[in-house]
Amino acid sequence: MPARADTPPTETSLGYRISTYEEDKLPEEFLFSGSPERYDITIHQFQLVTPVGENYGLTLSSSYESMSGASPWYALEAFDGEKSIVMSGATIHEQRRDYNLTMRRYQDNGNYAFSLGTSKENDYDSWSGGFDMARNFNNDLTTLSGGISFSNDDINPTDAALFNRVTDESKRTASGFFSLSQIIDQNSLFQSSLNITRHNGFLTDPYKLGDLRPESRTQVAWSNAYRRFFTSLDAAIHLDLRLYDDDFGINSVTLDASWYQNIGDSWQVTPSIRYYSQSAADFFTPVNDFTSPGIPNSSDYRLAAYGAVSGGLQVQTRLDDLTLTFVLERYVTDDGYSLYGGDSSPALVNFTRMSLGVSYTF
Amino acid sequence: MKKNLLLISATVCIALVTSGCQPVQAWERGTLAKPEMAIDADPMETTLNNHIFFSKEASNGGHSAAGGGCGCN
Repeated sequence: MPARADTPPTETSLGYRISTYEEDKLPEEFLFSGSPERYDITIHQFQLVTPVGENYGLTLSSSYESMSGASPWYALEAFDGEKSIVMSGATIHEQRRDYNLTMRRYQDNGNYAFSLGTSKENDYDSWSGGFDMARNFNNDLTTLSGGISFSNDDINPTDAALFNRVTDESKRTASGFFSLSQIIDQNSLFQSSLNITRHNGFLTDPYKLGDLRPESRTQVAWSNAYRRFFTSLDAAIHLDLRLYDDDFGINSVTLDASWYQNIGDSWQVTPSIRYYSQSAADFFTPVNDFTSPGIPNSSDYRLAAYGAVSGGLQVQTRLDDLTLTFVLERYVTDDGYSLYGGDSSPALVNFTRMSLGVSYTF
Repeated sequence: MKKNLLLISATVCIALVTSGCQPVQAWERGTLAKPEMAIDADPMETTLNNHIFFSKEASNGGHSAAGGGCGCN
């Protein structure tokens, strides 16, 4: 939420973006069996932002994903004693659609909004709703904002009978945030936010053999954002820091830096860099333990200790009412990049992502 | 130990950044209204990044409440 008097949108903006996401193959030395080909995903995004009357703004967003590829099924110790991954044999082909609607009411001293959302896959349905509000103080130099959201997810894994998977499970999520934004001077501002999320229900991954996770999870994230404009350079810097903690035993730190360089009146080039590091979950095991049923354990690489560095470049140009956007990003993981100790996984993923978008304002 | 060190470092940085707050009149806020000065300068890019990192990393959470889930995590 910006720390300035809020006004509804004055124009309608329609945007479309297509993205390709490709994961690197699993290295042969870590593959025990199955396909080394990991996920390839194509994502189509749509967004409409429009004023409604004098005091309201409506945002409609939607996305459609189609994905194919194999994923880690379980981890074992190979004949040479090294950790090795059994990948799913057949390539999956799946689609996901999501729709989100936000109606925001703008007032003299702030705004508030109601949101609804849904996500649908052949094995996963999610419904969510939320409310947030913001109030400006101190001559609109300071903004306090907060909000809550709830979601209910239904999980019906495919091929449940064939692979002895669960059927008809569910998960409920409640989340809240509190945020403080502050204008520092004519060229800079700062925002700090605390987000707490609680999940209850089925949190285990049904597609990973032997995976068992606790039935609740509490996550806390403290996010900080700094924005500064350099008039002599016609450029802005974005610095973001997030600290995270949860009761799975995972801590993480995320650092983002982006430089928005304007070139003339119609071009903008934005290089960015991101560093991420997480510790391992308490119940993470680099090799699945099938001898202790009922005890939480998972070899899911996303619960391992590791670090990731990503670099990106965005190029944007404005042609009258049209804005064209191109983004290229490369994400690389390594257990050596981590600030934390703990077990890691040979199934860490690297990926490349490209996006091309157009938006029209009228 | 590392967690406490990170928490202290972040708090000190924030205190330093915000210690120089100045009064800014409404007519002096033109720069702050530039699109590149928004906390979220590209909502579609942020939505996509949040979805990717939610799917591939164990952490999530930012400047808003969590939305709905997906089978990707």
